[in-house]
Amino acid sequence: MFLLGTFYLFASFLVMTCISVIFSKNPVNSVLFLVLAFLNSTFLFILIGAEFVGIILAIVYIGAVAILFLFVVMMLDIQITSLMVNMKRYVPLALLFAGVILAEIIYLTVFKTTKSNIDVIVRSENNTEQIGNVLYTDYFIDFQLSGIVLLLAMIGAIVLTHVYRPTIKRQNIDKQNTTFSKDRVKLINTKAGEGIQSHD
Amino acid sequence: MSPIALEIIIGVLKIFSIILPVLISVALLVYLERKVLGAIQLRRGPNVVGPFGILQSFADVIKLITKENLLPSSSNKFLFIFAPMLTLILSLISWAVIPVSSSYVISNINIGILYLFAVSSFGVYGVIIAGWASNSKYPFLGALRSAAQMISYEVSIGFVIITVLICVGSLNLIDIVESQKDLWFAIPLLPMFIVFIISALAETNRLPFDLPEDEATLVAGFFTEYSSISFGLFFLAEYANMILMSSLTVILFLGGWYPPLDIFPLNVVPGIIWFALKVFLILFVFLWVRATFPRYRYDQLMRLGWKIFLPLTLIWVVITSSFLFYFGLLPN
Repeated sequence: MFLLGTFYLFASFLVMTCISVIFSKNPVNSVLFLVLAFLNSTFLFILIGAEFVGIILAIVYIGAVAILFLFVVMMLDIQITSLMVNMKRYVPLALLFAGVILAEIIYLTVFKTTKSNIDVIVRSENNTEQIGNVLYTDYFIDFQLSGIVLLLAMIGAIVLTHVYRPTIKRQNIDKQNTTFSKDRVKLINTKAGEGIQSHD
Repeated sequence: MSPIALEIIIGVLKIFSIILPVLISVALLVYLERKVLGAIQLRRGPNVVGPFGILQSFADVIKLITKENLLPSSSNKFLFIFAPMLTLILSLISWAVIPVSSSYVISNINIGILYLFAVSSFGVYGVIIAGWASNSKYPFLGALRSAAQMISYEVSIGFVIITVLICVGSLNLIDIVESQKDLWFAIPLLPMFIVFIISALAETNRLPFDLPEDEATLVAGFFTEYSSISFGLFFLAEYANMILMSSLTVILFLGGWYPPLDIFPLNVVPGIIWFALKVFLILFVFLWVRATFPRYRYDQLMRLGWKIFLPLTLIWVVITSSFLFYFGLLPN
C-alpha cells in the first residue's frame, strides 16, 4: 500500500514535470524541470528495487547531460516569442516521434509478455552484481557497440564544431614549465652615465 | 506509541546526531583555517572572541544572520533564494551514508559510494543556478567556470573510485573500509590517492582551483550578489563539502576507523576517534595547500584535468585490474 502510494506520488510528479518541460516559457526553467523529471524516474527505479540503474541514471543524466544542457541553454539569448512561433512548425515531427514511442510501449506491454531475464535482475538482492555478471558476458557485443556509437557521436560533434585557425596564439605549457628565470631575465650592473647597450 | 512513530523519532534523532557535529565542525574548521593561515603567514589569526578566539565563527554566523538579505531587482527571485538552500541540502544529505565507525551509519546501503558520487555531482547545480539567477556578469562567468571545472574533475574522481572498487569488490562503504583492515589503499594506490586529493580540491572549489570564486578577476564569483544568510549558506555548504570530501578520502584510502597498526595502545582507541583524526589530517592538507600554492590559470586547470589526470587514472584502472587478475587477487 505504502509502496503503491509512493509510486503514484513520484509517477504523477514525473508526468507533471514532463509537461512543465514542454510548456515552460523560459528554456532554463525547462531544463530544470527536466532535471526534476530525471530525479523522479530515479526514484521510480529505486522503488522497483533497481537501485543501481536508478543511481546511474542520476549520475549520467542529472550529473552530466543536464548540466551540459543547462550550460548551453544559459548562454543562448533567446527571444521567447519567436520560440513559441517556431514550436508550431515542429508539431507534426513531434507527433510522429510520440506515435512511434507509444507504439513501442504498447508492443512491449501488451504483446510481449515474456520477461524472464529482466525479472531475475530486478528481484535479486544485489542487482549491481547481477548487472555486472551479464553486462560483460552475455551482452558484451551490445555493450561495446553502444560505446562505439557514443564515441562516434563525440568525434562527429568535435569535427563539426572545431575550426582550425593557424594564426591563433596558443600557450605551450610544456615550454612554459621548462623555462627558468635565467632564460628570460638578466641582471646587468650599469655604470653611472653609460646606460644599457642592447646586444640584439 | 506506535512502532512507526518510534522509528521516525529514532531516525530523526540519528540524523541530528550526524548533522549537528558536522555543523559544529564546520564552525571549528573555519576557525582552524584562519588560525592555520595566520600561523603560516606569521600572523595571530582570530584571538578576540572567546578563549583563543575559538568563538569567532559563531560570532560571524550571528553577524550574517542579523544582516539584511538583499534581492537584486533583476534576478530570478525563486531560483536566487533556492540555490544556496539546494547547495547546503546536497552537502548535508551525503552524510546519510558516511560510516563514522564500524557500527554507526544512518543508512547502510549497497551502493553507498555511487550515492555519494551522484550527490556530489549534483552540487554543481547550486552554483550554476546561483550564477544564472543573479542575472549579473561576474556570477554568470563564475557559474560557467564552475560547471566546466566540476564536470572535468568528476571524470577522474570516477576512475579513482573505480580503481578502489576493483580492489574491494563491493559498492558498500563499510565493505570498502573493512577490506583495508590490513593494508590501507593509500599505500598500493598512492598515485590514485594523490589524484583524488587534488580532484577533491577542484570539486570543492578550493584553492588553488577556486576559479569559480576568483576574487582577483570575478569579484566573488557565483555568490557576488549574495548577502547575509544566503551567503552564509553557501559558505557553510563549502566547508561541509570539504569535510565530506575528506571523510570520503579517509574511507577510500586511509582505512576509515581502523588504527594505523593493530597493536595494543592504538587498537583500544575507539574507531570514531581515528576517523576524526584522519579527517583532520586531510583537512589540514587542504588548508596547507591553500596557504602554499598560487591559483591556477583556467587553461592550466582544464589541462590538468583532461590531459594529465584522465589518462593517468584510466591507465591505473587497467594496471590495477590486470595486476589483480594476473595474480588471482580479484575479490569474489
